[in-house]
Amino acid sequence: MTPARLRIVGGAVHDPANGVDGEVRDVCIEDGCVVSSLPADAPRLDARGMVVMPGGVDIHSHFASSSCNHARRLVPDEHGADPVSSPALTDGDARSGTGGTVPSTFTTGYRYAGLGYTTAFDAAVAPLTARHSHSELDDTPCVDGGIYALLGNDEYLLRQIESGETARARDYVAWILGATGAYAVKIVNPGGIEAWKSGQRNVTGIDDAVSGRRVTPRAILQTLAGAADGLRLPHPVHIHCNNLGIPGNVATTLASMQAVGGRRAHFTHLQFHAYGGAPGEGWKSGAQQVIEYVNAHPELTGDVGQVMFGPAMTITADAPVEYLLHKSSGRRWTNIDLELETGCGIVPLAFKDKAAVASLQWAIGLELFLLSADPWRVVLSTDHPNGGSFLAYPALIQLLMDRAVRDERLKHVNPKLVAGTALADGLAREYTLNEIAIITRAGPARQLGLTRKGHLGPGADADVTIYSRDADIAKMFSTPRYVVKDGTLIVEEGQLRRAPAGRRLRVAPGFDDALLPDLRRHFESYSSVSFANYPVRDLPGEPVSPA
Amino acid sequence: MTSARAIQAVTCLGCGCACDDLEVKVRDGRIVNVSPECPVARAWFGDGSVPTAVTVGGRPAAIGKALGEAAAALDVAPGRALVYIGPELTMEAQRVALGIADRLGARVDTATSSPAAAGLLAAQRRGRAGATLGEIRNRADVILFWAVDPRRRYPRFFSRFIEAEGTHVPSGRAGRRLISVSVGADRAPAGTDTEISLTPGEELAALSVMRASVLGNALGDLPSPLHAVADAAALLVKARYAAIVNHAEPGEEAGNPLRAEGLIALAQALNGPTRAVLVGLRAGGNRSGAEAVMTWQTGFPMAVDYSAGFPRYAPEARGFERVREAGAVLIAGSAGELAGMSEVLGKVPVIVIGPRASAAPFPTRVAIDTGVAGIHEAGIGYRLDEIPLPLTPPLANAGTRPAAGTLAALLTALRARPAGRTR
Repeated sequence: MTPARLRIVGGAVHDPANGVDGEVRDVCIEDGCVVSSLPADAPRLDARGMVVMPGGVDIHSHFASSSCNHARRLVPDEHGADPVSSPALTDGDARSGTGGTVPSTFTTGYRYAGLGYTTAFDAAVAPLTARHSHSELDDTPCVDGGIYALLGNDEYLLRQIESGETARARDYVAWILGATGAYAVKIVNPGGIEAWKSGQRNVTGIDDAVSGRRVTPRAILQTLAGAADGLRLPHPVHIHCNNLGIPGNVATTLASMQAVGGRRAHFTHLQFHAYGGAPGEGWKSGAQQVIEYVNAHPELTGDVGQVMFGPAMTITADAPVEYLLHKSSGRRWTNIDLELETGCGIVPLAFKDKAAVASLQWAIGLELFLLSADPWRVVLSTDHPNGGSFLAYPALIQLLMDRAVRDERLKHVNPKLVAGTALADGLAREYTLNEIAIITRAGPARQLGLTRKGHLGPGADADVTIYSRDADIAKMFSTPRYVVKDGTLIVEEGQLRRAPAGRRLRVAPGFDDALLPDLRRHFESYSSVSFANYPVRDLPGEPVSPA
Repeated sequence: MTSARAIQAVTCLGCGCACDDLEVKVRDGRIVNVSPECPVARAWFGDGSVPTAVTVGGRPAAIGKALGEAAAALDVAPGRALVYIGPELTMEAQRVALGIADRLGARVDTATSSPAAAGLLAAQRRGRAGATLGEIRNRADVILFWAVDPRRRYPRFFSRFIEAEGTHVPSGRAGRRLISVSVGADRAPAGTDTEISLTPGEELAALSVMRASVLGNALGDLPSPLHAVADAAALLVKARYAAIVNHAEPGEEAGNPLRAEGLIALAQALNGPTRAVLVGLRAGGNRSGAEAVMTWQTGFPMAVDYSAGFPRYAPEARGFERVREAGAVLIAGSAGELAGMSEVLGKVPVIVIGPRASAAPFPTRVAIDTGVAGIHEAGIGYRLDEIPLPLTPPLANAGTRPAAGTLAALLTALRARPAGRTR
């Protein structure tokens, strides 16, 4: 076991939440928390010459869900090509596994830890399958984890919106979050998945009627954004807009941002929603329009969803998009319709730098980062594994910190659609280490309302990542020298040595019990699962308090 | 006689439908009634009595001695141990069993990999268009039964998902068009709106014709049964939401192994002109759970070989096909379906930890009886569409030994072996 006390000595600390920017100082840890001081004889970890940051926080990933398991099943070839032996742990049982774009669960935990990430959220879980996600999280060590519950295409919610029952919709949201042990509300293609399942195929804008009902994506966005605010959830609604991946979708994205009307909202994988042009007429970057709107609206946050060249696995509840991807790519396609709630689509893919659209997507993501005025509000993601694996984060960080590397890479992508982008015209900005600390830990933690994550002030969870400096930024960020999780030294000299279970991050907002008889009738009328059996039992840990 | 105690919302793992709306009545530690009436549920629960023995070499033994003997027997070279995850375990117990396999460097398989392999492998080649069972109920207006009659092994399938009213099919059965396609002895239900019979030799041609029809290809003149299936394809295309139901575990006598791939391709193609899904019926006992756990822990749904120190996929050597090479076998779960393997299992040390282990139909080195998932043990069981459900055991305090806990104790015993071959 590692000591309950630990003084990390002499590192250059990047703790932007506490205004610390590379100052050489000690970080003191006791019983899993950061403390202001320790006795002089406390065990020491020499971090002189190294960079010290809070543990990474992944605000948007897909790694622990039934959808991920469908994706795993789809690519035995990937798993066979990336076998992972058990790590040599000093404590506890080590497990082998497989990698690829969607690694097995233990390997996922080990790889996150090996990257210096200690908290991660699965961003799209059908409430009906939340029990499965919690089981996968139980087998994903090293990271504190949580799930976002998919809402916005569910029958009960649509009925409430249709009948103007806003308060009941809010109570339903609270019930779903508590029953599924979720942390936040995720909206995917509001109304579009129900349209896919009902034969309408999709919606085309936020004012389309959904499946002939008196419900629009706009109403869904406004109802759920209002519910999240009303419930004082620590993280606002997490929105995947309509028309993902469609040329010209920037108009839908901006309309969605305007629709939430000053409420808090997080717009996810912005890159996939920042396309100019028009269907059938071609693609161009819409990054500037999107980021300028976000820059001007402090109530909005986002993550980028950067595309990185290489293999990817598209996994999304946005099932109509996956069908189009299947038809256009000819690749394997899995679709699962989930009763009364949502859908799921999966297509394995590769982003190639010789491809014009993939190159444009890559450029748009970088534009969003480089034109963002506030790193606290626009944070790092690849929408793992949709835009690329989380293992690509170090390479992405290098692109952001090193213009020379970025410009060199730019020379080798397909220029057809990239020409004329702000990136091609030359963006000189280089992220600093402190800004990287913001977009990879402090910012996501703040956006999530996790007061004990993403910083190293007294009372913070003792999640710390220590990097050896290296001129090769990608190398530096891909192999932390030390990682501390909840006060336990889990990575030593770049090797995983311990793999403790992570904690569960969830909320359980209150609601008016008057909801329950009506909800029970709905279950009894249409669900294949008994109302009594729907809530996940024996959830670990205590819920996080409201914002 | 004491009065009966009623337990509500009990999940039945008697078949893959995993109905979770049962009321089970218990009196004096025995199950006395299960409702609604279902012959599969009645057989699954029985009166709930199971043996509670622990044996070594067929003789009663203390649990500590049995676990020690089991650990010693299983401590063979990597690749020489075979772990078989049989039915009737909770997901939690299946997780532990896989942990044991990882530690032993064992080959692993599950109770359904052989019968379900054709569908699993086809879905890995193509993907699939599927749905949860409730989508059939709520949306399907045209339903094609392909070589399966759910009434035989899934008695409540019709009442729950065909006759019941749905959100988009408010009139229930009256709002659905049912098509039956029987293939040789694999009969589809009688009494449907359209009934077609094919010989096994016609099956693949029929699936090809249907897919070609869905894709809008010119078919020319077709002989009688193929003409009929082309008409059936036209009905599917006109559906608002079509569901194809087949048997995902057709058994050894099954027809063409390419059936699964043909059905997957047909369902996928139907999503051009309309919406369509394929739902494969699966047997009970939480078999789908074993595949789910194996997938998330290894990346593969079946036929895993840990002998290299990491999971490798070995679908060409599934189940007991290589049992003769094994130096020891651990059966986690029910061994009742392995009666046909008694001769070969009689030649290797076999450890059985699961329900009715002491009554295994072959000699055992160690047998440890446990409770049955969902009857004596709480936890999670998976429905055939991979929806996880809580198990509310009506006989939670019946004195049975917990499977997950016993397997965990075996893992601890394996870890404690100082000079063994296990890692």
